[in-house]
Amino acid sequence: MSVSSLALHVPDNAALNTDPRGNLALLAAMTRGFARSGDFAEMVRAGLQRITERLGAEASSLFLIEPDSREIVCFACHGPVDVTDLRLPWGTGIVGRCIAEDAIQMVRDVRSDPAFAGAEVDAATGFVTRSILVAPLTVGDDQLGAIEIINKISTPGGDHLFSTEDQGLLEALCGAAALAIANMRLTARLVEQERMAREIELAAAIQRSLLPVIADPDFPIHGEMRPMHLVSGDFYDVVTRPDGRLWFCVADVAGKGMNAALLMAKTSSLFRCLSKSAATPGALLAAINAELCETASHGLFVTLACGLYDPADGRLILANAGHEPPLLHDPATGALVSLEAHNPPLGIDPSLVDATAETVLMVRPGQTLYVFTDGVTEASDGEGTMLDVAGVTGLIRACADVPPQARPVALVDAVLAGGRAQRDDVTMLVLARKDGFDA
Amino acid sequence: MSVSVSNRGGAHIVTLAGEIDLQTSPQVRDAVLDSLRQGGAVVIDMGGISYIDSSGVASLVEGFQVARRQGVAFILAAVSPAAMRVLQLARLDKVFAFQPDVDTALAEGI
Repeated sequence: MSVSSLALHVPDNAALNTDPRGNLALLAAMTRGFARSGDFAEMVRAGLQRITERLGAEASSLFLIEPDSREIVCFACHGPVDVTDLRLPWGTGIVGRCIAEDAIQMVRDVRSDPAFAGAEVDAATGFVTRSILVAPLTVGDDQLGAIEIINKISTPGGDHLFSTEDQGLLEALCGAAALAIANMRLTARLVEQERMAREIELAAAIQRSLLPVIADPDFPIHGEMRPMHLVSGDFYDVVTRPDGRLWFCVADVAGKGMNAALLMAKTSSLFRCLSKSAATPGALLAAINAELCETASHGLFVTLACGLYDPADGRLILANAGHEPPLLHDPATGALVSLEAHNPPLGIDPSLVDATAETVLMVRPGQTLYVFTDGVTEASDGEGTMLDVAGVTGLIRACADVPPQARPVALVDAVLAGGRAQRDDVTMLVLARKDGFDA
Repeated sequence: MSVSVSNRGGAHIVTLAGEIDLQTSPQVRDAVLDSLRQGGAVVIDMGGISYIDSSGVASLVEGFQVARRQGVAFILAAVSPAAMRVLQLARLDKVFAFQPDVDTALAEGI
């Protein structure tokens, strides 16, 4: 708090609140000012100066209610004493009573009002508060604060007291100011939402860039990931080893939203990095688990199915940490084999993952392995009935003739067709071994 | 979804019912962690759960992790078939301690 000047500012009589047309002009000018964008604090200070001069008063302040603490805080002021940032507990002072009762207060002699709380400020600054006119700033049921006018200085031939005309003008000005403040806050919220939306879009773009780009239609593995929102807790990846064998994985982080997306990015990096040195999928799962457990939080875990596939002979080693069981389909026989998980999800406890728990199988020519997340099985129709594994097997059989590079997209489209709602991120990876005739 | 907490035999019983998903799982997390903060064993009565998604399971996993650090029992009791399918599919049946009902959990689990 500082005393900028203790000299009394005596306004020009011509500007005083005696002419209704002048009042309307002031109200119009201030409404226009509030509607303009720009420095809101500066706009409020200029507005307070005009109100003060118009009412023939000595000082004025605009108080706002702080949402969390419910304290009443001076946002801006005009006059010889700067009380900006002065904080009053809820209900304190004449301004506090005005806000608590949501009613204008006109106190012509503060010494006779026990609620007056400015004695300390007066003592510290030498300012003398004599009379107060304070009106609430309210929009609908939303209480924002109050504008307080201090010390009527003079009226031509008047009594140095605030009048009912002053009261009416202040109430009208408070209406315009309250709307301006509500608009300013709404704009600030929209700007913040816009900023967050841009950040999420950026995060989503980064996430998409973490997925592999497979342009070769003859490549054995293809995938599709469709987030429920912008960012995803799912991912899939494929890494080609120097010996020609392929690492692949499909993973699903518990939950949705930004925390799941961040853990997805971390797990994806770990998969890429640790697959370069891991000997087997089981060992890779154990290594990723150990890293995730070091920084686990909020119980977030990752289900992950990964494999090491040799396109030369179809040999596949699978390891599965709590993930939806992959399905091996043989169109020649119609058989669909479910390959169950052996380990619990990653990121729960370093001792829980058994590095030797693996499934070894040969993918014969014509057979296809489907690895997907529970967003596939949990897609539900209008009655809440989930697609489930039985529904997925039906779709796999129906899409068996779609070329492998187009099959993940076709399957995800089919999962989300028929009025089924997406309840989660949806990922589908297809590993197809060409049949013997065109291999 | 409903969450209620009671005390029996020095243990906290957290009773869950209905659908536990992204919207409702924070309530489960709060109830589980509040109970663990007060000390003593925690039994989760899961008989009334009709659906639980991965965010709900994550709340239980966090409870398991905190209980393990504190050296107290954390038991899932009367797990409904719907919830058990989810836990078994993710092989979380290897992680949690289970009891058929709350009474057995209190008598034998803690």
